[in-house]
Formats: sequence, structure tokens, C-alpha cells
Amino acid sequence: MRAVAVLLILLALAGCATTPPPRSAAPSFEHVRQLAVVVSGDSTFTVLEHRAEPGRTFDEILQWGMFGSYRSVLRPIAELVHRGINWLLEVDNTSDARVDLGDLTPRAAVAGAFVRALEASGRFDEIRAYGREPLGEDRRRADAIVRITVPAWGLVRVQDGDPELLSAFADARVEMVAPGSGVTIWATGEDATGAERLPLRAFTRDREFTRQQLLGVLERAGQRMASELLYARGAGR
Amino acid sequence: MRALLLLGVLALAAGCASAVGLDVGYPADGVNRALLASATPRRVAIGPITDRRREARLGIEPESKKDVVTRRPVSEIVRDALALEVAANGHTAAADRADVALAADVEEFRLDVLRGYGSAQFVGKVVLAVAVTDGRTGQRLLARRYVGINRRRAEADSESAPRETMDTALARAMHDLATDPDLVRAFSGISTATAR
Repeated sequence: MRAVAVLLILLALAGCATTPPPRSAAPSFEHVRQLAVVVSGDSTFTVLEHRAEPGRTFDEILQWGMFGSYRSVLRPIAELVHRGINWLLEVDNTSDARVDLGDLTPRAAVAGAFVRALEASGRFDEIRAYGREPLGEDRRRADAIVRITVPAWGLVRVQDGDPELLSAFADARVEMVAPGSGVTIWATGEDATGAERLPLRAFTRDREFTRQQLLGVLERAGQRMASELLYARGAGR
Repeated sequence: MRALLLLGVLALAAGCASAVGLDVGYPADGVNRALLASATPRRVAIGPITDRRREARLGIEPESKKDVVTRRPVSEIVRDALALEVAANGHTAAADRADVALAADVEEFRLDVLRGYGSAQFVGKVVLAVAVTDGRTGQRLLARRYVGINRRRAEADSESAPRETMDTALARAMHDLATDPDLVRAFSGISTATAR
């Protein structure tokens, strides 16, 4: 009996204990003063539903008019969705810049906000943005090269209810590498989600509003990745 | 002996009742010296931390429909996180003779779980309205809203995902705070009192 009691108490004390994940050593890149920021990779506009009944709102999305001639391209995807794929739609890379962002691409919006946030911190002497890998002197003068990708962006369902609520989102990734060796100094991903939660109708009836929401979350992704870089970098000047 | 057995059973039941609440927090071993450390070391009065949420629960567990709550009061979680960040950045949390006061309203601290095919999407959101005032004059130096959101996909019955989602959302809000150049200026006594 006593053994049972002791066993129960030991279970109570130890049974729910969780082992914290091992923490890697904090990266040190306080010496980095000159950054070259490069945007690269494909960006896919996506509407994430993540529901048990996929595709229910796809036809509503297609009524937006945001996608113009891409409606016909999207239709076959919609049919796939209705067959059980829980991604609502995907637009190929050639169209991502034309989802009403004007001249701005998703990658450029993220990178722009990233650079502005780093500049505002005063922690770096020089930050230069490039549309492709810097060469020659540009590459040599950089202490580190920061590569930014935005694999996916669009709208995501974030709250159940009636009506269900959606937010703009942007999934971005940043990697800082040492020029020459190519060694990764630091990297992180950011699942930026718009703070505002709105019914689908709010997005479908006002293109300008939707554009602002998408731009806002892309910039938010850039700001957040800058925050994480500054946080990881530490206090050194 | 019977009492001991009963105690053991009760301890087992209480200790493993993880469904009652999430042990959300800001782990001390993840706190860095950041931009906030570049301000002159200050004595900082932390508080009041006021829970302004309309509902005490974080959300609802989709299957059981049970409320999801935190084990500790949300205001306590946020206070501890602020205290850790302030200390890690070389400042001293002090109730008296404070140079600056750091107060916060917890406007949101919520978790939404959306079930899908065999997995679930977890969306955690923390919104803190932070105000920094001069400890001597009471002048408002900064009013800013820090929003931390984490969205992740995990197994629908994951025991760790809800807590990790909220931990990450809180950490993001705290990292934004610790790397905010305007907060550094406010700690230096320079007013940047524009709300945003």
C-alpha cells in the first residue's frame, strides 16, 4: 500500500514534467555593420482556409475581380480543392506582383520594411538593398549578406464563428550569411498575420482595403524579422 | 496510510490536469540584452499591469468546447515578462524612486484553434498597450501598442502546440518592445509620446 502511495506521488511530481528543448548558443554577429540585403525566391498568393470542408468559399473569392484574367487559371485549382486539397488557391509566381500591389512585389515590400526598421535602430553603418546577389566591390564591402524570401502571402482564416474571420498573412524567411564562406550566421522565419480579423466580405467588396491589408502584413513581416535580428544581435554597437 | 494514498491520488489528478490551463510564460533563458540595453541604466517601476480583456478565457477547445485558460493570471504573466526583459537589459525593477514607470494594459491574450484534416491551425495573439512615464514628473514619454501573433499548424491533439503558440506570441511582443528605438528614447527621458 505504501509503495502504491509513493508511486502515485512520484508520478504526480514527475509524470507531467517536460524537458525543455536544448537551447543553442546565442549567435554573435555584433561585428556586422555593413549589410547587403537581397530579395529572392518565388512568392505565391494563397488563401488558406484550413477547414474540414475545403473550398466552400472559393467561388466567393473568385468573384473579387482582383485576379482578373487569372480566374480561368484558378478554376482548375478550385476543382482540385473541392476534391479534398485544403489549399484554396495558388497563383503562380508570374502573377504575384499583379494582385493589386501596383509596382510593388511582396518581396520588395517585406525587404523595404526590413531595411527601414534596421536603419531606424542605428545599429548598422550601411544597409544596401539589391534585387540580385551583389557582385565585386558591393559584395566585398558587406560584412554579411541577408537573403529574404516570401514563399507565401495572402489571406488566412483565423477565427471560427459566424461569420468566420480572416486576416492577411505573409510567410517570410530571412537568412544572414557570411560573404565568401557562405556560412549561415543567423536565420529565422516569420509567420506574420494581420492584427485585424474581418469577414470575407470586407475583403471582397473593397479592393483598396484589401490591398492595404496585404501591404500592411508584408511590411509587418519585414519589421518583425528586423526585430528578431536586432534581438538576436544583442546590445553591442 | 489512506490519507497518504488519497493525497497521492489528488496530487496526480491536479498535477496532470493540463487541460485546466496553459502554463504560458516568457522563459528566462530566451531573454537577450537587446536595443533597450543601450539606454542609460534606469530604475523602472513596473505596473500597473491591467487585464482589459472582455473574457478571462483565451479561447475554446474545439472538440470539448471547454474554455482554454492560463494557469496564472495573464497580468502576472505579462508583469513577469516585462520584469525579465527590463532586468536583462541592465535596468533595475524598483517600486520606489523610479526613473521611469512602465505600465501595460493587456488588450488581447487569446488563442484560436481551427481544426482541419488531421491537423489544426493555432493562432495566438497578444496585444499590450504599454505606457512609459517619467517617474518623477509623471509626464507621458511613450504610448505604444505591441502586438505579438503566432500562427502554426500542428497535430490537432497536440498538447504542446497551444502553449507554444501563446509563448511565441508573447515573446514576439516582448522582442518588439526590447528592440523599439522609441522605447530606448523614452527610457532616456525623451518623449516620443505618440500612440500607435
